[in-house]
Amino acid sequence: MAVTETGIPKLDVEGLSLKSVSLWQITWRRLFRRKSAVVGMVILGILIFIALTAQWIAPFDPIQQLIGKEEGIKKRAAPCVHAFGCPMDQPEHIAGTDGNFRDFFSRLLFGARLSLMVGISTVSFAIVIGTILGALGGYFGGWPDNIIMRFMDVLLAFPSLLLAIAIVTVLGPGLINALLAIGIVSIPQYARVVRASVLSVRELDFVSATRALGGSSYQILFLRILPNALTPLIVQGTLGIATAILDAAALSFLGLGAQPPTPEWGSMLGAERNQVFTAPHLVFLPGFMIALTVLSFNLLGDGLRDALDPRLAHLS
Amino acid sequence: MVQYFVRRLLLSIPVLFGILLVTFVMARVIPGDPCRAILGEKATKAVCDRFIHEKGLDKPIHIQFGIYMGEILHGDFGQSIRYGMPVSRLLVERLPMTVELSIAALMVSMIVGIPLGIISAVRHNTWVDVITMVWANIGVSMPVFWLGLMLAFVFSILLKDTPFWLPPSGRVTPGIPNDPFFEVWGLNLPETGVLPSFFYFLSRLNLLNAALTANWELFKDSLTHLILPAMALGTIPMALIARMARSSMLEVLGQDYIRTARAKGLTQVKVIFKHAFRNSLLPLVTVIGLSLGGLLGGAVLTETIFGLSGVGRTLYDAITARDYGIVQAFTVVIAVFFVILNLVVDLSYAYLDPRIKLD
Amino acid sequence: MKHKFFALISVLMLTSLIMAACAPATEAPATEEGPAATEAPAATEAPAEPTAVPPEPIATFDGKTLSVPDCDYGGFVKSIEATDQYTVTFNMCKSDPAFLSKIAFSPFAIYSKDWIESTTGDTTRTSEGLEKPVGTGPYMVSEWNRGESLTFTANPEYWGEAPLTPTLVFRWSTESAARLQELQAGTIDGFDIVGSDDFAVIEADPTLHVQNREALNTFYLGMTNTFAPLDNLKVRQAIAQGIDRQRIVDNFYPVGSEVASHFTPCSIPNACEGDAWYDFDPAAAKALLAEAGFPDGFATRLGYRDVTRPYLPNVANVAQDIQAQLKENLNIEAEIVVMESGAFIEETGAGRFDGLYMLGWGADYPHVTNFIDYHFGEAQLQFGTQSPTYTEPIKVAATIGDLATAAPMYAEINNALRDYVPMVPIAHAGNAAAYKADVTNPQASPLTTELFAHSAAGDRDVFVWMQNAEPISLFCADETDGESLRACEQVTEALYGFAINDTTPEPHLAESCTPNADSSVWVCVLRQGVKFSDGSDFDSADVLATWDMGLNIGSPYHKGDTNLWEYYGTLWGLMQKTP
Repeated sequence: MAVTETGIPKLDVEGLSLKSVSLWQITWRRLFRRKSAVVGMVILGILIFIALTAQWIAPFDPIQQLIGKEEGIKKRAAPCVHAFGCPMDQPEHIAGTDGNFRDFFSRLLFGARLSLMVGISTVSFAIVIGTILGALGGYFGGWPDNIIMRFMDVLLAFPSLLLAIAIVTVLGPGLINALLAIGIVSIPQYARVVRASVLSVRELDFVSATRALGGSSYQILFLRILPNALTPLIVQGTLGIATAILDAAALSFLGLGAQPPTPEWGSMLGAERNQVFTAPHLVFLPGFMIALTVLSFNLLGDGLRDALDPRLAHLS
Repeated sequence: MVQYFVRRLLLSIPVLFGILLVTFVMARVIPGDPCRAILGEKATKAVCDRFIHEKGLDKPIHIQFGIYMGEILHGDFGQSIRYGMPVSRLLVERLPMTVELSIAALMVSMIVGIPLGIISAVRHNTWVDVITMVWANIGVSMPVFWLGLMLAFVFSILLKDTPFWLPPSGRVTPGIPNDPFFEVWGLNLPETGVLPSFFYFLSRLNLLNAALTANWELFKDSLTHLILPAMALGTIPMALIARMARSSMLEVLGQDYIRTARAKGLTQVKVIFKHAFRNSLLPLVTVIGLSLGGLLGGAVLTETIFGLSGVGRTLYDAITARDYGIVQAFTVVIAVFFVILNLVVDLSYAYLDPRIKLD
Repeated sequence: MKHKFFALISVLMLTSLIMAACAPATEAPATEEGPAATEAPAATEAPAEPTAVPPEPIATFDGKTLSVPDCDYGGFVKSIEATDQYTVTFNMCKSDPAFLSKIAFSPFAIYSKDWIESTTGDTTRTSEGLEKPVGTGPYMVSEWNRGESLTFTANPEYWGEAPLTPTLVFRWSTESAARLQELQAGTIDGFDIVGSDDFAVIEADPTLHVQNREALNTFYLGMTNTFAPLDNLKVRQAIAQGIDRQRIVDNFYPVGSEVASHFTPCSIPNACEGDAWYDFDPAAAKALLAEAGFPDGFATRLGYRDVTRPYLPNVANVAQDIQAQLKENLNIEAEIVVMESGAFIEETGAGRFDGLYMLGWGADYPHVTNFIDYHFGEAQLQFGTQSPTYTEPIKVAATIGDLATAAPMYAEINNALRDYVPMVPIAHAGNAAAYKADVTNPQASPLTTELFAHSAAGDRDVFVWMQNAEPISLFCADETDGESLRACEQVTEALYGFAINDTTPEPHLAESCTPNADSSVWVCVLRQGVKFSDGSDFDSADVLATWDMGLNIGSPYHKGDTNLWEYYGTLWGLMQKTP
């Protein structure tokens, strides 16, 4: 190796490329190295694909009752696939039919669309409101902070499902109201995350520098401080989608969320829960789809958390 | 620490007030009234107007709130509109079921979750780790009500006529004698008061009561009825606890002092239990504390499926029946419990990690 | 600085809370009634609506006679007299042909005078009164393990035959799958309300038996005819013919249900006089709709509440089917609106619901007036505007005691309903109970009054019965839910009762109750030698005390559970003056 006059090994610079690597690229790479995160992303990808193309891949209209339209249709029929030996005189329904003579498989497919929409919209709502509250509280401190945080504490003092049930009972049953309820109940966690980030960054030098340069409070807040909250928010949000989907399913199971004839997995499960012993596929399949969706978000969220956490860098 | 405790206590007061206010407002804002909830299609305007007036529900809302606050501060939770008895009595009746279920679920989740988490941390990146974490992730993804129904199906139908059969609902088989322990011991308790209520509450914890009176038939029966709901309810906290145990153990195991301990020649077991475990407890305690709180929400669904009448189910039914007394009192009790739980969790931080200055 | 300020605020709040706690001397607590409570709201608010004033008591009771000065209060009872130790005379304000069916209803069970007095609390009955009823029936309550089970044992003082099974246990579960599960597992002997899809399973099992229950209820599609386009008669008639009701019954109702040919189930006398409802005729329906000006249909709402009722065991399924049928047959777009139960009842009851709604009715007592008068009387707002073509005959028919004489009037009423179409009657929902095959005399009473003293659980000592829900309380004078009433019926008895699995009233505590010529005076001769389960004797004083407690709002013993006194009120009329 070449050596300089003082004896220090000389670095061969030409062979090295000093390409700047952004945080996102590093994260992406670390994410891909975790097998479980990859599995989650694949499942999620499939679900998103199903949600987008449900109209074309579903064999039947999920809302249409087939009584009188199909020969030999039975209520709550077991899955029948002619290729697997189901007799030809029975109509083919891959996942059977439900209590209103509708094709269950189509309903399952359309349910993906609904569940994804539920998860994303509630979390977006909660993140937007939570960020505003947490940022205002964390940045300005004092009075506003105390009031906002006490209000968050009050919200957190109630078990989230019970609070959501109460809110939906007040607003009336329905999917939109259920989304609102779950969104409201989720606000505190995001507010806390953002507030913690803002607090930790508030006193740092670059903030004072920006202020010295004449930046307004809001400019500082939104352009400089909040981006630091982004990573914990992403992680929390991904995991939050998982819980939002579960909560929405729970509300629909209790009859408070999606209303008939909307094909939503939780309400499909709830409608058939007394048939668990006579037609278990009607109970097993929607629950399984919920579990799969939630699992994919959990795996992805976990992977993101590990990928973005500098303290676990020694593990990647 | 005392200063911290007092300060936290003072901070809790506005929170408690907020809880009372929110609970009251929400209960009253729910559309409909108890009369129509009870009578359904048989309700007539004349009957319901009279009923609402008698219960004082047509008074201006702020007067009703004032009355409510006054009652609460006297320790009087009011009457249940539906059951015609004091709400506190209903609370003492229903709470033991939920407490028993929650503790059982928590035990299931800790006994299974913590060792799983530790093992997968120690055997990081081996197949044990992968399988455990997949299992934990699946566990946390399943809807509680679905899991409960599936478990009931497997253990009550598929495993029928086998020694593994478990009953699908209920808390005990009727006909098994269940004498409260204070009667069996011959204690003479006064009619009313806090102590008798507390003893009565303890006696309704079936497992405890059975153990105290050596009633093994009841013990076994209660246990078999409790297994499925506890498993269903405990799966999600178990997964959370396993993951948290694993990640905090991993963090600790990466520290220098562990490397030192290993270099010193300590066995793996000693390294884990003497050094690593205690330091990884902190985030674990948080999760356990929060899980206990979260169990109350999941309890509503579990109690519905398994036909148990605990606080969660009663509260849900009361919301449907517009029984304001029960809704307000039970919600406040649950919320206060959460607040206390949070406080305990925070205080335990200081105990477990002397470096944390409670601020 | 921050902390000091905060501490200050907290102390202020604490102080205000403490002051609120010490204030109640001036605040009348919600449970007290009395002039103070009524004056405050009247004084502080300028009432836009008249503030509710508590009704005044008008009855007088001296231990032997309960009476009201006149019949202006609108109820049935003028006076009840204990003419001697074992005779009670009911003097009615008007002719009451349904008297026997009404007094056989379980809320009118007779309690002992001493028990009534000793279990009266401040505003409600004491917990002993709510949980340990003392009656003359074949069983008595031995233990109520709240939330779990209710155990009865045989009443040694019972005047009749001892129960076939000495111990009776009630359990409950809201999930029909769980109930079936328990029966199959052998942990219970019978359960109520078999789920629609479980019939096949039970019938296939030789160790189990289905007991069908006759349908004494009606499910109907209501229409508020003050909202367009339902105000158009032809539109309503089109809907009447445009729904394939047989398809709904075949697919979503349990075995034993039937399509409603008239509003009232035909097993009730005079229910099915007059023409039967329209047949399903989509072509004619479409034509009528076009005539009315809606050849392409219209948009409306279909409301319901997500509550399982005997007349609607599969609410959501039926709603979706009706929605689909309206679209297919008439091109009517019905948006499904699920409402909270209480809000739904209130809105439909006041005639404020814009659209079609799903509701029904279960019989309180097996008489045509119970169905027709409530729904189609002048005062009912539910359907919008009522038509005198039926409200007038209803008033007349209610006074006629003899069934045969009243028949043509009910024919007229039913025909008028068919023409005017305030609603479309759809089904009478049967349901069923299921028992182990070795249960003797399995019961499924049309009025859900199963008297388990007459059933034996094979050769076992304990009969375990599982119903839909836990009883609310065991003080049935003030209860309305069937689960509580059934529990009470094992323990308490009224002057009459219903025959097993039937709707015919038969003597229980009264040996006979005979009317005068126009059914306005009923004389009941009581059974002698009857004792309550606490050993006290039964005589007319107990009958008077019970009816005083129930009807006389001024009685110090008029205290129940919710204090609604619904059945005393609707079937007889509480003795009160409402200003």
